[in-house]
Amino acid sequence: MNSISPEIICAVATPEGTSALSIIRVSGKGSFGLLENIMSLEKNRLRGMRRKVGRISEKGRTVDEVVAVSWPEGKSFTGEEMVEIICHGIPQATRTIMEMLIRQGARRAEPGEFARRALGNGKMNAVQIITLAALWDTEKSKKVFNGETEESCMKLLNKIETAREIVEGNIEFDEIHLDGDGKHIRSVFCELMARAKDFRRKAASIEKSCRVMIMGPTNSGKSTLFNVLTGKQGALVSDEPGTTRDGSTCFMEVRGRRIQICDTAGSNGIGLDRKASEAVIRGLDEKDRVIWMSVGGRIPPADEVKKRVGEVIEIAAKSDLKDEMEMKQILNISSVSGEGLENLRDIISRVPGSMSLSGAAERIEESIKKSYKFISSQEYDLAAEHINEAEIEARRIIGKGENIHLSVERALNSMCVGK
Amino acid sequence: MKDEWDVIVVGGGHAGIEAALAARRKGCSVVLISAKRNRIGEMSCNPAIGGIAKGTIVREIDALDGSMARTADATRLHFRMLNRSKGPAVWGPRVQSDAAEYASAQQSYIGNRGVEILEDEVTGLEGLTEKVKGVRCRGRGCVKGKAVVLATGTFLKGMLYRGDEKWKGGRIGDISADLLEKDIVKRMFHVERFKTGTPSRIVRKTVNTEELEVQTSEKTNFNFSYEKQMICEKEVVCYITYTNRKTMEIAKENLHLSPLMAGRIEGTGPRYCPSYEDKVVKFPERISHKIYVEPMGYRSRYFYLNGLSSSLPREAQEKMVRSLQGFGKAEIADYGYAVEYSYFHYTEIDDTLRLRRSENVFVAGQICGTSGYEEAAGLGLVAGANAGRVAKCLEPLSLSRMNSYIGVMIDDIVSKGADEPYRMFSSRAENRLHLRQDNADRRLYLTGDRFDIMSDEKKELLTGNMKEAERIKYILENETVDGVRLSKWCRRPEMSVGKIITVSDALVDSEEKILMSVLLDEKYSGYIERNLRKNESRRNLEKISLREINSYMEIDEICWEAREVLERERPETLARAERIPGIRPTDLQGLLIYLGRKRSTWNNSRAGEM
Repeated sequence: MNSISPEIICAVATPEGTSALSIIRVSGKGSFGLLENIMSLEKNRLRGMRRKVGRISEKGRTVDEVVAVSWPEGKSFTGEEMVEIICHGIPQATRTIMEMLIRQGARRAEPGEFARRALGNGKMNAVQIITLAALWDTEKSKKVFNGETEESCMKLLNKIETAREIVEGNIEFDEIHLDGDGKHIRSVFCELMARAKDFRRKAASIEKSCRVMIMGPTNSGKSTLFNVLTGKQGALVSDEPGTTRDGSTCFMEVRGRRIQICDTAGSNGIGLDRKASEAVIRGLDEKDRVIWMSVGGRIPPADEVKKRVGEVIEIAAKSDLKDEMEMKQILNISSVSGEGLENLRDIISRVPGSMSLSGAAERIEESIKKSYKFISSQEYDLAAEHINEAEIEARRIIGKGENIHLSVERALNSMCVGK
Repeated sequence: MKDEWDVIVVGGGHAGIEAALAARRKGCSVVLISAKRNRIGEMSCNPAIGGIAKGTIVREIDALDGSMARTADATRLHFRMLNRSKGPAVWGPRVQSDAAEYASAQQSYIGNRGVEILEDEVTGLEGLTEKVKGVRCRGRGCVKGKAVVLATGTFLKGMLYRGDEKWKGGRIGDISADLLEKDIVKRMFHVERFKTGTPSRIVRKTVNTEELEVQTSEKTNFNFSYEKQMICEKEVVCYITYTNRKTMEIAKENLHLSPLMAGRIEGTGPRYCPSYEDKVVKFPERISHKIYVEPMGYRSRYFYLNGLSSSLPREAQEKMVRSLQGFGKAEIADYGYAVEYSYFHYTEIDDTLRLRRSENVFVAGQICGTSGYEEAAGLGLVAGANAGRVAKCLEPLSLSRMNSYIGVMIDDIVSKGADEPYRMFSSRAENRLHLRQDNADRRLYLTGDRFDIMSDEKKELLTGNMKEAERIKYILENETVDGVRLSKWCRRPEMSVGKIITVSDALVDSEEKILMSVLLDEKYSGYIERNLRKNESRRNLEKISLREINSYMEIDEICWEAREVLERERPETLARAERIPGIRPTDLQGLLIYLGRKRSTWNNSRAGEM
């Protein structure tokens, strides 16, 4: 086995959720044939740089009508034979097409694998990848942790290291045998599994509770912004101050990241509104981020808000109403003209909680379980493989002992599948 | 005798022998220079070959047509497959050989293969370091050669220690190569000191073996060599004894007399093969250590005490030995001692085992900072093959770390060095499940073939193995049992070779060892593929060359310490730079950014010219 068989990989390149269109990327030698097959096209119709409209059907039923765009080897993003399927953004259809591709021999791409192949084929250099990943990841990922979770992960890593030393020691030195009945290793793994569970729970709780709150005085356009950002007409909007009283919540995809965004009642300091906004402020948490908006950025955020949360993003709203504008060193936004919205999306996309910490925690737990299973069946070679995996994952989270090998790897892994 | 050779090999140990043979297989005329002809191929320490990871190296050597595996098979008296209960990927074959027979078999082997032997002391390299003309000998004067392999083992300015005794020597009864070391230092090479040691040899008949645990040889059809040949019929048993509180106390009382503890030795010793004194200091809570009692040969009058290496004074050693169960009246034939020697700092060596500052000088064995017969032989084979290739003006051979332990070892020692004598461990290999002892022939076949490293007979044999493996694979892929493809079916945990043979007629007459090996490929294939995928990104870093950087001192993107380190080490690729101690990820990213900027300005300026 001297080289890796260049498998066909596929992934949905557009964010999850309902949208007008969705793109599925397929890359690797044989992609053309695979697509011709699925779209029931004649042989070689996709060879070269082509665009083909076609129907994808399964068991006689049309799944979707799609456009396939093909690039030959050397001309595509990955440098390999590649096809992009533009289909309608109905999650069900996208999923079915993916399943069909996989049944026909493609493999779901690992995070960053398209970029990795591009790098491997000289289509992208490591600088570009790291820069891309930096846009994606930013150094903010550290803030994902609160002290408690970080400590939990450190303790876990510590235990993993101990377990790995035992397993490796057993392999390297024949004369070392597990003490009698293997009590020691059992107790090490028991504790290890408890730690992994603890970390997974903490990781999951962080991710759930991390929110972006839109706050500010009444009638500053919070709900309009909420609607524009989420693409919904969920929040009632009117020029009447105080339209939003209960607030609404929505999970949205920003730059491929899943973020919980909340619209809140405005505060003008009187009566009902005041009570509602006080309740919001009481509910704030250091993991939350606040977008504080006021018309023209004239009203600074309340101190109690600043105190409670990790970061306040101040924005000057309604910048389309130029006559009311004052020059300020804060972000100008107009939900009507769209000014500043892209910048805001960038900022939001860097909000912590979007890193899939609990996913990593689950993988660690899984690896530990597998490792233990192989110890029970006396297959130390495989036990070592899995515990090693767990250690790499834990180190990656903490950023301990990382070298560029890992950091490029991490950069690639932090990127969304299909990008 | 001629006065000019293609390749000169300095030293007749395990490294020197493989180096000489590899160069010979390349069709070079080879002279091996050793101070004592009759000590060529001597097992200076324990009479054993193989072990975990080490045993796999021996098989890799055989796949590349070296001699260690064959000779170990032919002289073996005792065999054990270590780790048999810990998973087939980490099995470690190990044999006890007849030490005297081993050396004489190696001597006649190299003689038969046409390696000339010169009994002399090498006192220095001849000519300019950049391209040497040969070596200088004490007796014969200048010996000319197109390439030189230095495999001096512990002889390079060797110094022996026992208690407060201290004398010059490469090994007990041998001279040290002091003048050669002087010459090397004069040529401004960076050398450092390591130490190692050996236990005492006990007169066999004075030991009461009735009182010892017996360890018999495993019955097996295992061969290190892929060639079908006769295995030595003779067999011996080994024994096991344990150190006790008394042994520990004697060692403690005499610790101040240990040359190491008293600070007389400055070199670092091997952590994984420590002297008994070291064990007492480092593991004071452990009273009992296992000692393997191994006969030095079938008829040999001596036992080797594996695990009781010591450089304490004679009286202390005697007391320690006699404190062991069964050794109450034991007499010591040769006392244990420590040896300190010089080796080349890793920055001097490239991944073909050539000295970076010379076109035609190669190094192998302990002179590279390793420890162990198997490691030395593996390095010797590569250094010798490359010396031969230089002599014949061919591109050099280098092995990948994903494909062999020898590749892992070379990559480790030339890119990060070691702060103690380097011993091979299976965990050093990220692709361990692939680097097994059973598939060394198939792993290295393409390399061996491409670099034309094998004799015709060997090639024919291994080609046969490859074909048989292909045939078995084809059957596994295409035949089914109860509707399940064989390749999938055989992954069931309760599967055995015997069972699989019964389900397919085409497999009945297949070579059992090869079938077993292919089945293991199947078993681990998912893991191996994943490891190779991971390695892909590493290879990408290897593609980023740093050669175009003239001076690191002006690169503002990286910190000062890193600039100094990089200026000194001059790594060839980013992957190498990554592994230099003291280089942080931020420095590497800085380097990337610098390179990106530099290349784009370079491209722009070129575009402007057009």
